Amino acid sequence: MKTYDIYIVGVGGQGVLTIGDLISEAAVKANIPISFFPTKGMSQRGGLVKAQLRLCSGDVGPSMPEQSADLVVAMELSEALKALPYLGKNTEYLLYGNVWLPTAAMLGKAKYPAKEKVCAAIEKAGAKLYYVEPKALPFYEGKPVRDNLFVLGAIMANTGLQKLLSAEAIAEIIAQKWPKAKAANLTAFNGGLNYGVL
Amino acid sequence: MSGLNVAYDSLIGFAYSGTNGGMVVYVADDPGVTTGMCEQDSRGFAIMSDMVMLEPATVQECYDYTKFAFELSEAIGAPVFLRGVTNVSQSHALLEYEERLLPVEKEPILKKDIAKYTKAGSAICTAQHKALISSFAEAEKIIRVKGLNELKLGKKGGIGIIAAGVSKQYLTEALVLANREGAAIAEENISTLKLAATLPFPVQELQAILQNCSVVIVAEELEPHLEREVYHLAYKLGMDTKIIGKMDGTYSRLGEYNAGIIAQGLFAATGKAVPAVLKGGITAGMELAAARPITTCSGCPHRGTYMAINAAIKHLGYKKDEIMVTGDIGCTILGMNPPFHTLWTEVSMGASIPIAQGYIQAGVTKPVLATIGDSTFFHAGIPGLINAIQQNVDLTVVILDNGWTAMTGMQVNPGTLQDYQKDPCQQVDLVKVVQGLGVEQLWLTDPYDLAATTKIMQEAIDTKGVKVVIARRECAIQATRRKVDYGKVQVIQEKCTNCKVCVNITGCPALVLAENSVYIDDSQCNGCGLCAQVCKFNAIQKEAK
Ligand SMILES: Cc1ncc(C[n+]2csc(CCOP(=O)(O)OP(=O)(O)O)c2C)c(N)n1
Ligand code: SF4
Ligand code: SF4
Repeated sequence: MKTYDIYIVGVGGQGVLTIGDLISEAAVKANIPISFFPTKGMSQRGGLVKAQLRLCSGDVGPSMPEQSADLVVAMELSEALKALPYLGKNTEYLLYGNVWLPTAAMLGKAKYPAKEKVCAAIEKAGAKLYYVEPKALPFYEGKPVRDNLFVLGAIMANTGLQKLLSAEAIAEIIAQKWPKAKAANLTAFNGGLNYGVL
Repeated sequence: MSGLNVAYDSLIGFAYSGTNGGMVVYVADDPGVTTGMCEQDSRGFAIMSDMVMLEPATVQECYDYTKFAFELSEAIGAPVFLRGVTNVSQSHALLEYEERLLPVEKEPILKKDIAKYTKAGSAICTAQHKALISSFAEAEKIIRVKGLNELKLGKKGGIGIIAAGVSKQYLTEALVLANREGAAIAEENISTLKLAATLPFPVQELQAILQNCSVVIVAEELEPHLEREVYHLAYKLGMDTKIIGKMDGTYSRLGEYNAGIIAQGLFAATGKAVPAVLKGGITAGMELAAARPITTCSGCPHRGTYMAINAAIKHLGYKKDEIMVTGDIGCTILGMNPPFHTLWTEVSMGASIPIAQGYIQAGVTKPVLATIGDSTFFHAGIPGLINAIQQNVDLTVVILDNGWTAMTGMQVNPGTLQDYQKDPCQQVDLVKVVQGLGVEQLWLTDPYDLAATTKIMQEAIDTKGVKVVIARRECAIQATRRKVDYGKVQVIQEKCTNCKVCVNITGCPALVLAENSVYIDDSQCNGCGLCAQVCKFNAIQKEAK
């Protein structure tokens, strides 16, 4: 029994579930059995969104054990900490350092963690960290592209997921899924593919 | 689970009367409370109503057992439960499915059977209860023939594992983990009972595994319903089998399980200490995460209503924490969260009005307000309002009329615009309903107009008797979908003093901080204009169309 477990966290509206959908579709196309468990909760109103993807050959349940994710992806700096229990010594952690301030933090009434502290907590938990800089987000026709697709590109370029799924297959799914936004979306995805985090 | 909670009144009635055709009650429990409001175990309801409980563990089983549940219900003439848990219910996976079968009967079957479908009278009721109990026993046989529960006996004296619902899906993985971490158990020493149907309790299978093993692990999320039955059977059989589960402290009644958690039972069974790698995960650092209370969407009309209630309370010279405002179910409850902190209570649909009345009748002399959404009012608010009118209490009821049933996914409600009422449905006029009940002091206001709404709230609070304020403006999400255009609102950067009063009072997610000023994220802002109405420097302005 061999599993490849992915845990994704972010805030509602960041496209966490789209990343999950795309990975699932690519897995199905590659004949890899997949269980995709998204938790939406209060996503529409700015709450936490998380998703668990288990690419596996055998029988597994939807929730993965703690300390054993192969890959963790965080779309927001503070929410990144919510994935800590899933980190183990073989975990790769791709952190997109986007900051989405809650109102109280904006007003200085509540704390928001510093980037260094978040990175330190992740590394202390034993994971290998790849930090993706939000400022590197490409533009298409003067507008920033969808950052979830950019992050997915960075995942495919830098993590072990590339051993299971091919970036070309994902690019194809993106192109088919949103034909009208194909050029912008592929700019995002390819931008991520070309983003070297090391 | 909440779904069954709020429908429970009718459940026992259905169970007692039984059914003609198939009836399946689908309920999803929420261990860990990731999507709902409670962490109860619906199997308790099934026990109380003598109903069958099937517990699919995978997407495929959800599909397969739904079909079987209908067959079973038809066979025993009683409703059957299908129980998911959040992670099973929300999962996506590949599915093998069959062609859809539609009912053969084209016409509704009208069957008059007073003794079956009414309840009053002990003779009728006792007969129904008797029939229900025998249908339950019948179900046990059918489930056994179907082979839904899988019993695999290993060597005598070994370790038995009883796993129900989603927990059975973690067994293989748990055994791999236990093996890897030093609690290897030879395969021939393991007996397993994988349960897909937990009620009626599979007594024969439970006895078989008890009699075969020296230790039995019971893995089930939430309440130890099965485990208690196992203790009970062990007592009846006179066995002192060691039972591992919640009652010895190995497993928790809280949260969802995974293979790591299930594996802890295997360590307990082999008398070994659980290694750190299986004991939850690293939490050091999690406390640094910023709290992210959910708030109303940008442009939400409820925002204007809560701002107005807060302002009215202040203008009338009260402190915020001395005026009780009850809340109700729906997006409307978000008034409990920052920056509003307006609402004090949330219980069940429609409860806002009677609870407020209760406080008044208990002797609260300061004004009391109740807030309730339009759907909730139509569904369960009217009886409470009638009661308040009859009892003639001094109560202000605010109906937040956004035209839709927003929280649960934008269903049409009786008050939704006629254009969206599917034929032959028709729109019900909320104002007329309230007037029809005899409410004389009624105001209709637009919560996007903060000054007017605040003034009306003040007036209403200051008036005696039952008063109703209808704050009417469409849900922002629906208005945007329908392409309603409120125009563009912008921060004039030179005028903004960065006082952040707008952020403080509205908490609107479309307001973002720039270097030395606030700016508005166009992709989120719907142009409601509420922030502009609190800016003292006139720095937020609506662009002329
Ligand atoms: C008796 C009962 N039925 C259904 C529900 C599920 N439910 C929760 S919120 C909600 C909708 C509330 O709509 P509304 O009062 O219009 O407020 P909105 O979300 O639109 O602001 C429903 C139906 C429930 N909690 N109780
Ligand atoms: S869905 Fe509609 S009613 Fe609910 S918070 Fe958003 S705008 Fe308000
Ligand atoms: S106008 Fe102001 S309060 Fe309304 S949605 Fe835009 S930013 Fe938010």
